[in-house]
Amino acid sequence: MGRLLSSPKVLLIGAAALALIIAGLAGGALGGAFGGGFIGAPIAHIQLAAEPITASPQIADIPFFGDFRITNTMVAAWSAIVVLAVISWLGTRRLKEVPGRLQGALEAVMEVFLNACETVAGPERGRRFFPLVMTIFLFVVAANWMGILPGFGTIGRFESAEEVIHHAEEKAEKDGEHADLDNVKLAVFDGDGFLAVQPFGSVNEEITGAEYEEMEEGARPRAGLLVPFFRSANTDINMTLGLALVAMVMVHYWGVSVLGLFTHVGKYFNFREGPIMLFVGLLEGLSEIARVISFTFRLFGNIFAGEVLLIVMAFLVPLVGIVPFLGLELFVGLVQAFIFAMLTLVFAATATIHHDSEGH
Amino acid sequence: MIEGNIEVIKTIAAGLAIGLGALGPGLGIGLLAAKAMESLGRNPEAARPIQLNMIIAIAFTEAIAIYALVVAVIIIFLG
Repeated sequence: MGRLLSSPKVLLIGAAALALIIAGLAGGALGGAFGGGFIGAPIAHIQLAAEPITASPQIADIPFFGDFRITNTMVAAWSAIVVLAVISWLGTRRLKEVPGRLQGALEAVMEVFLNACETVAGPERGRRFFPLVMTIFLFVVAANWMGILPGFGTIGRFESAEEVIHHAEEKAEKDGEHADLDNVKLAVFDGDGFLAVQPFGSVNEEITGAEYEEMEEGARPRAGLLVPFFRSANTDINMTLGLALVAMVMVHYWGVSVLGLFTHVGKYFNFREGPIMLFVGLLEGLSEIARVISFTFRLFGNIFAGEVLLIVMAFLVPLVGIVPFLGLELFVGLVQAFIFAMLTLVFAATATIHHDSEGH
Repeated sequence: MIEGNIEVIKTIAAGLAIGLGALGPGLGIGLLAAKAMESLGRNPEAARPIQLNMIIAIAFTEAIAIYALVVAVIIIFLG
């Protein structure tokens, strides 16, 4: 310890870290409450639904579907797919008996899951379930980890105050209400034309839609909202619902193909073993639907809550507050991907077991 | 009177939903981890299967907290 403290390098790093922590505490919204706040910006706009990346729809008025818009979570999902494809291409382009670093890493990941599949479901069925389990894990973990890269949620389209107010009024009109512009929050941006930035120390520069409307035409500030180009793919409930449906449909497909249609469906509509077993079967059928819902919301809830946590910490204590939570998000992203894959495997294994041999 | 304070009530409701909803899963995850640690101490060789099953069981427990979170989010954003 004494030797560590006497080393000038360690002292310098320690002093820099201390300075960053003090600057973060004083410069964020936490310090802003006591007259500081020279670094932070207003809290980012938190929205449940994914936002479209362009102002106008890509394909307008498709019958029965309405407008098709490319949303920021779609962009993130496709970039995760591209990243995975490039990594697999690089890793498998020159397969060698003694693997190099990338091939070795890919083989290690695959082996963990192949072993898990074979221990849970047996060698034959395990190999059958493996592709889906592995794909789900790789996609979810890639999407989750890419979602905390810098640029996600911070770079995007500038939606002007007029647009935001127009949207709020449109939505209120659809619900048959009057738009409440006091609840429409807008951030004040710097810069003009193409570029708009939230400057350092603009913690309190936030106005409501009503205030904006009251201002004179010439005196209005450049207010609006940031619509990010990228947003973590699993913060969109459509994404996680899609994954959950694919997983559960495949589980039942395997159930039917291994046991046969009548045995598999007979597990849920059991008319042969009396009314109690019929009721138990129906409950099991209900729990299959509950599994889809819990798959969906487990992944969505964890990743969305993580994003909100990061936004709030970056708002309260900029520069340093976010760092421990980035580590936490790395861990949560990995664990959630692992759980999604493992539960798919376990459900598939239980759906393909013969009822008589279950032994209970 | 309630008409004017709907935002306040929403905020309280969302706070209560996630606060009370996190109580049970918190206890549950604590119990799970305690038992896993106990069995790890008894049988350190079984670390891998214990870890795997613990994580899967925690996922089921945690899902309940996530339901509460979703309800809170719905109250705030869509309610």
